[in-house]
Amino acid sequence: MIAARDVRLVLEGRTILDGVSFDVARGESIALVGANGSGKTSMLRCLLGFVPFAGRVTIEGHDVVRDGVVVRSLVGYVPQRAAFGDASAAEVLAFVATLRRIEPRRIDVMLDLVGLAAHARDRVRTFSGGMVQRLALAVALLPDPPVVLFDEPSANLDRDGQRLFYDLVARLRAGGHTLLLASHRREEVESLTDRLLHVDWGRLVAAPTPSARVVPFPARGERR
Amino acid sequence: MRTRALRLVAARELRDAVRGRWFVLAAGCFLVLSLGLAFFGLAGAQRSGLAGFDRTTASLLNLAVLFVPLMTLTLGGLAVAGELEDGSLGMLLAQPLTRLEVYAGKYLGLLGAVGAAICIGFGTTGVIVGLYAGGGDAGVFLGLVGLVLLLGAATLGMGALLSVALRARARVIGAAFSAWLLLVYVSDLGVIGLAIARSLRPAQTFVLALVNPVEQARVLGTLLLSDRLDVLGPVGAFGIDTLGWHGLVACLLGTLAATAVGTVAAGYVVFRKVPIA
Repeated sequence: MIAARDVRLVLEGRTILDGVSFDVARGESIALVGANGSGKTSMLRCLLGFVPFAGRVTIEGHDVVRDGVVVRSLVGYVPQRAAFGDASAAEVLAFVATLRRIEPRRIDVMLDLVGLAAHARDRVRTFSGGMVQRLALAVALLPDPPVVLFDEPSANLDRDGQRLFYDLVARLRAGGHTLLLASHRREEVESLTDRLLHVDWGRLVAAPTPSARVVPFPARGERR
Repeated sequence: MRTRALRLVAARELRDAVRGRWFVLAAGCFLVLSLGLAFFGLAGAQRSGLAGFDRTTASLLNLAVLFVPLMTLTLGGLAVAGELEDGSLGMLLAQPLTRLEVYAGKYLGLLGAVGAAICIGFGTTGVIVGLYAGGGDAGVFLGLVGLVLLLGAATLGMGALLSVALRARARVIGAAFSAWLLLVYVSDLGVIGLAIARSLRPAQTFVLALVNPVEQARVLGTLLLSDRLDVLGPVGAFGIDTLGWHGLVACLLGTLAATAVGTVAAGYVVFRKVPIA
């Protein structure tokens, strides 16, 4: 379903991904875990064709660079930080529905699903971070895509929002969707996925390694 | 490129632009300033009241070549940089759209908004002048509106190019303002200085002067208003002597249109490689 082969990404002279290869089978749920800045988000950006990279990535056999439009028609994406310009929630979903030729009545279903039905006509600019994240979930799931990519999906969500998210992931897994979740919180995604891929310094590693980059904050009274 | 996708992106951009404060501000400014110019245009002749189309068009030409590039350079400048920074461009590009559809759609949507602001501002003045003053050639006034739209298309393309090249809102705003100063004020002085310092031939000065789209629009507007060669100065006179009135108009219109198309094409070439956060 998803095949990444020797993916290398260099941005502004810095190596972000260094020969990453992995496969995700149809219906499988995989977590990309690693510390902040390890390359998880960059991997998702490669899957969406957002960045110029070396190597090859295919989704359902379609090359993400050559067949970008086909690939993105198969994928729903929930970013870490979503934004939707100056539109209302209903307009955001209507744009996606028209573009992807989805029945308009699904807009109300999705708004209801993510708990934003009462805010359908409100401008997204007035939304809290959690509400924007819920809308991003609705946008990603509106076309019922076979593949869904999540980037730190519950970071902005409150407890109810997190519960909604876990419930949605469970339903997607039961429905045979292929899921890829990037998160730095291993404990959060472990129960939501079939297996974990550990990313460290732009490479896939067998097991999580203690990050040498993280310097613990000194305790009170302790001197660095 | 799929026209349906292009239309959808353009409509989304137009809707967002028309809702923005800049649109109300721009349309309002065009209306107030153009009406003011039409009303006070006869002050020099110790008269008051609305001037006819010819005098209003002449006054509006100077207003348009000053304000339209300022508006479009900043607007085009924020087209990509703003959305790249706030993350909404990533949401758009995660949809099954090509980068060409996104870039061209955004450009056309913004051009539609600029056109609406110009038509509301200048159009209302045109209607009022037509109803209450009347004198002069309304065709010339309409020609000016078309010319201003073409100038807006060219400078909007330049702004969008700056946007994809610099990609940060603060840098783009600075660059857009510098580009505006360069196009509106500095380039004239530069050409004059170069012509004197290098003893340029009239043909060289002519080409150099007309590289600037603002200058192209200014000369075209002047040609719209008057057949007299002397109002265009020595460079314009050289152009008319060499190409003829029609030839010069066609050359300038072609160059202005080519600037619009060229800057949009250059912007797209850069945009294709822009990494999306």
